Amino acid sequence: MYQRRIWPVLSLLLITSLLVTACTSTTQNPSASAGGAADPNGELVTNMGGEPDTIDPHKAQFNTEIGQVMMVFEGLMTLDPATLKPIPAAAAKDPEISADGLTWKVTLKDGLKFSDGTPLTAKDFAFGFTRTCDPATAGDYSYVLYVIAGCEAWNGMNVKKATPAELSAAKAKLGVKANSDKEIQFTLAEPAAYFRSILYMWVGMPARESDVTKGGDKWTEPATYIGNGPFKLTEWKHSEKMVFERNDSYRTPAKLKKWTKVMIGEGAVAFAAYRNNELDVNGISAEDLRAVDSDADLKSQLVDVGGAATFYYGFNVAKPPFNDANLRLAFAKSFDREAYIRDVQKIGKPVATGGFIPPGIPGYDKDDTIQKYDVAEAKKLFDAASPAAKDALKGLKFTYGSSARTKTRVEWVTQQWKTNLGVDIGLDPVDRTAFTALTKKPETTPQLFSLGWIADFPDQQNWHTTVWISKTGISSKTTGYSNPEFDRIVRAADKEQDPKKRDDAYLQAGKILSKDAPAAWIYYDASKYLKKPWVKGVTDTAVDSVLGEFRLYEIYVTKKG
Amino acid sequence: MLKYVIRRLLLVIPTLFFVALITFVLAQAAPGSPFDKNETKPLPVATIERLNRFYGLDRPVYEQFVVFLGNAVRLDFGVSLQRDRSVNDIIGQGLPRTAQLGVMALFVALAVAIPLGVVSALKQNSAIDYASVFLSTIGTTIPSFVLAIVFIYFFGVLLKLLPFVGWGDGLDRRMIMPTVILALGPMAFLTRITLASMLEAIRQDYVRTARSKGLGEQVVIVTHVLKNALIPVATVLGPAAAALVTGSFIIETIFSVPGVGREYIRSILARDYPIIMGTTMLYAAVIVIANLTVDLVYGMLDPRIKVA
Repeated sequence: MYQRRIWPVLSLLLITSLLVTACTSTTQNPSASAGGAADPNGELVTNMGGEPDTIDPHKAQFNTEIGQVMMVFEGLMTLDPATLKPIPAAAAKDPEISADGLTWKVTLKDGLKFSDGTPLTAKDFAFGFTRTCDPATAGDYSYVLYVIAGCEAWNGMNVKKATPAELSAAKAKLGVKANSDKEIQFTLAEPAAYFRSILYMWVGMPARESDVTKGGDKWTEPATYIGNGPFKLTEWKHSEKMVFERNDSYRTPAKLKKWTKVMIGEGAVAFAAYRNNELDVNGISAEDLRAVDSDADLKSQLVDVGGAATFYYGFNVAKPPFNDANLRLAFAKSFDREAYIRDVQKIGKPVATGGFIPPGIPGYDKDDTIQKYDVAEAKKLFDAASPAAKDALKGLKFTYGSSARTKTRVEWVTQQWKTNLGVDIGLDPVDRTAFTALTKKPETTPQLFSLGWIADFPDQQNWHTTVWISKTGISSKTTGYSNPEFDRIVRAADKEQDPKKRDDAYLQAGKILSKDAPAAWIYYDASKYLKKPWVKGVTDTAVDSVLGEFRLYEIYVTKKG
Repeated sequence: MLKYVIRRLLLVIPTLFFVALITFVLAQAAPGSPFDKNETKPLPVATIERLNRFYGLDRPVYEQFVVFLGNAVRLDFGVSLQRDRSVNDIIGQGLPRTAQLGVMALFVALAVAIPLGVVSALKQNSAIDYASVFLSTIGTTIPSFVLAIVFIYFFGVLLKLLPFVGWGDGLDRRMIMPTVILALGPMAFLTRITLASMLEAIRQDYVRTARSKGLGEQVVIVTHVLKNALIPVATVLGPAAAALVTGSFIIETIFSVPGVGREYIRSILARDYPIIMGTTMLYAAVIVIANLTVDLVYGMLDPRIKVA
């Protein structure tokens, strides 16, 4: 019988050898096809990870959802990929704004068409905006349109309790109307200069009322999902793939004929498929980086993209110790962000200089060095802090939603503070949901915790005002931050119609924020992806929800292999 | 017999009821909500309240459960909280694939396990016997997700023999890897059972009697040994089918098979309550029916067992 025992051992050896072979294999280099001309029948294959929950433009919330909308639809405005400032798309020119800044008129380009060749009018746009505000749509992203007069009141109604008369009265007050086939008019709740950027968003995509009515819950299927963007959806095999084809009615026909998006949920499997040339593009996680770095071919295919998010440590400014601004700034200046990204986070862009707004996004302040890593300066600030605040540092804890990843990250930064400031900080891991609950009330808000902000649209208003205005700001609510001076500047800038004055005001506000340091900026979001050499013409931006979002029609592939 | 069948069928009702109750309560009690999918960018509180109201999640859990039950008996499981599609639509799309995967895997498992178990029982310490030990060791000790990744690297990336993404219609090469890997676990299990019960049956008195009355070896094996040895195999088919159904969660996720299992995993992570309920009830029904069928077949195979 002892003979039998050898088989499990042998089989284990076999498995191990398989694993080793698999790990050490080099990617076969598909014969370099660089420099080839665009293939007129070119097909791009990418991975979308999983089935999008919805591709309804008036409900989409995530990149896997928004990305599909942006391929099939085009808004009144789009973003200039170089500056991320809004420029006309379906609109013929910049909006005409009344003197009080409240009435906006947008004229459409001539000859706009849906992908089935029928004309696109201002009514289709008005329908889109109205549908987003409609409480019966129950979309997740309607709140960005609350700047339109009447949208918030109508959208917040309870469709089950309100009478049809009440609902239609609220609808009638909505500040969206088509003046003619070519002109759409908006009435805003405040003279919001940032509305120009909102006009690029998916929530304002045009749709034909007849398609939505006819398709009902299924109007996002190819038969009725008819848009005006560079591509059209031709096939959607649920949980399997989506196929997009060039929309020949679009004014700049796309260079790709076809774009297939498969749904591979497992990162390791998608990576293997990329190596097998089954995917032309593949996102890379921090865990895959080692494999990419050790392979010269893969390394040459790596692309870096900035992101529209900032991550930071929040201080509870309502209570000692962090009611002391010197102490907060001392903390902010005493950890090495470059080392943090290199050693811990792996992917991301450290905040070396610059404040709350990431590079590439309008409002980025390259001259803001206020929170720069500087131990000597930090020690001076620390010494200048009030004795009461310093006393309160005893027993200080860093509270975080626990996971293996966050633990290493928090350990790293508390070690930095210990080395550079001599402060001992305990770790306080809590369940992730419990953590969210804690930060909802001022009484339970932890002293020190992690926060982040991902922008809705690239305008300073969506950063400074939305996040840091007193009381209602997303992060002011959790940190307790309030500075009347900051509030005054950003609220004035929100309404300022002169772009230069506006930008300057936000820069001023940003510096106040960095100096007040209700939070210590850590890093800006960034991502990496692999792209085969035959994929060309991709213009990446920090806010892309789909590869090359603002120049989709310029993407092409040369003949593979 | 008929009485027994009816009693068993009636027992299905409370079983499914308690499965529904427990799942419903646990799903609702699990932290998180269907509307906090975006960890780094939570929705405004007002939006979440609005959505909760819209989908009736602001009601007490018992009230929601009663509504669920009322609809469920009419086989209406509602609409996904995240997708604009009905649960029946989503399950209807995935079920044929999951069923096909499960049935093919069970077939492969049986087709390999029974001959392998029989031959290794008859020829102990032969190459085939070792092969069966090798197979059952791998199948039972190495989790399917590890095997899946190894297979993908070996057969998919290195040798480029088999595709490993997606499923397809009818019969497709893409089905080979997920089917084989899903089959390995039950295959190992069934091989061991077949082997063990064959060895047991061979030693029985009636086999000795058969041999002593001069029957040929083939007749002894087929009519006396095999027939009796397969009864335990039949009894474990129920649990094996359950293992296939639950095993397919992972396999579907790894191989991007658009089946119910993948949907099940997603719905739990996303707290998509109607889908959680719909898929759980489906799985519960499948397992209950599989066990019931086996119990009934058991009685037919072995007259010594009276089911009535």
